[in-house]
Amino acid sequence: MNSPITNIACPGCDLLLKIAEAPPGKKLFCPRCNTQLYQKKVNSITKILAISLSGLLVYIPAIFMPLLTLNTMGIHQYGSIFDAFLTFHHQKYYFVAVLVLLTSILLPLLRLSFLFSVALQLRLRMYSRSLPFLFRTSHLFDEWGMPDVYLIALFVSIIKIESVASIEYNFGFFCFLFLVLMTRAAVSALDPEAFWNEIEKIKAEAYGAAGPDNG
Amino acid sequence: MNAGFISCHDCRKLVDAGKTEKGVPLACPRCHADIHFRKPNSIARTWALIVTAAVLFIPANLLPIMRVDFLGSQSFSTLMDGIIYFFHEKEYGIGLIIFIASILVPLFKIIGMTIILLSIRFKWKSWLKHKTTMFHFIEFIGRWSMLDIFVIALMSALVDFGGLTSTHAAPAATYFTAVVVTTMVAALTFDSRLLWDA
Repeated sequence: MNSPITNIACPGCDLLLKIAEAPPGKKLFCPRCNTQLYQKKVNSITKILAISLSGLLVYIPAIFMPLLTLNTMGIHQYGSIFDAFLTFHHQKYYFVAVLVLLTSILLPLLRLSFLFSVALQLRLRMYSRSLPFLFRTSHLFDEWGMPDVYLIALFVSIIKIESVASIEYNFGFFCFLFLVLMTRAAVSALDPEAFWNEIEKIKAEAYGAAGPDNG
Repeated sequence: MNAGFISCHDCRKLVDAGKTEKGVPLACPRCHADIHFRKPNSIARTWALIVTAAVLFIPANLLPIMRVDFLGSQSFSTLMDGIIYFFHEKEYGIGLIIFIASILVPLFKIIGMTIILLSIRFKWKSWLKHKTTMFHFIEFIGRWSMLDIFVIALMSALVDFGGLTSTHAAPAATYFTAVVVTTMVAALTFDSRLLWDA
């Protein structure tokens, strides 16, 4: 009988496959449907710890400090990412406002803090019941958090504004740039399989070999 | 599914299906997510969301999405007007990016998912590998349609010089955001393994 430990099912087409170890940096694809299965990353947990902490450090200035100052005919105008959310709110476009709040402000924060908390607990070898939940949810937040899309939108807006006003780049702009870089770095350094294996390992340590539902 | 195992959709652990009792929802021992052979009601939910997205896509394109006030006069512009503006200004790169993100991507998602759902319905077994790749591509591009909404958010926050000139959102913004959300949720409810079951 096949043991669950040596097999995986392809998430794209459910083909049962033997687990193969990919060399670092190389990707494994399903032979039947071409879905990407694994990409082994070196030192994923330590890297995620560093990246998420750096991202969190610049989070507040990136969201709340002015990004740009516009000057036209002696009038100055500046705004932050948070102000951009507020304008939808003031204009009573509540549905759009909530979506903008989630995708550009809340979910990127939750994603980085969850990743930081999971990586820290794994480094300290502390198991808590919330650990699997935090890691599973951080994955969903990655899909719905869109700071990278926001950055491209910022560049598009700059090109639009350039024709009507002169632009000064403020501290918030550079913090936001760094926040987006760290968010993307977290995606490329993350090795979910390595995280899950560690979570299983420290759970077994915490509960002993015959821990609850350790199949 | 094959060989008596269920693959956890969240963490990919293979769970022994022999341990499950019929009708009892089962949780993954590793990540505690509910596990199923296939995502529940996948096809019905995905159809519903794709049809909704297709309907909402019409007002999203026909109604104005942005209002610019300049010295007391208001001018409304639709999604397409915004793209045409960039081509007039000879900013072809930016025009193309917005055209792809706000028009081509939602259209591609709606048409692509319809093709995939129809091929499950009528058991078309050819091009399965390509359809799976197309689905992963649809999953990947989904979030980029929010681009234009973010541009409007930034423009209305930054370009606000009192009575001189200011930028505001217009009704299509709500419809357009709804298209993005419904197509993204459709990609989440769809289970590509169903293509291979047929």
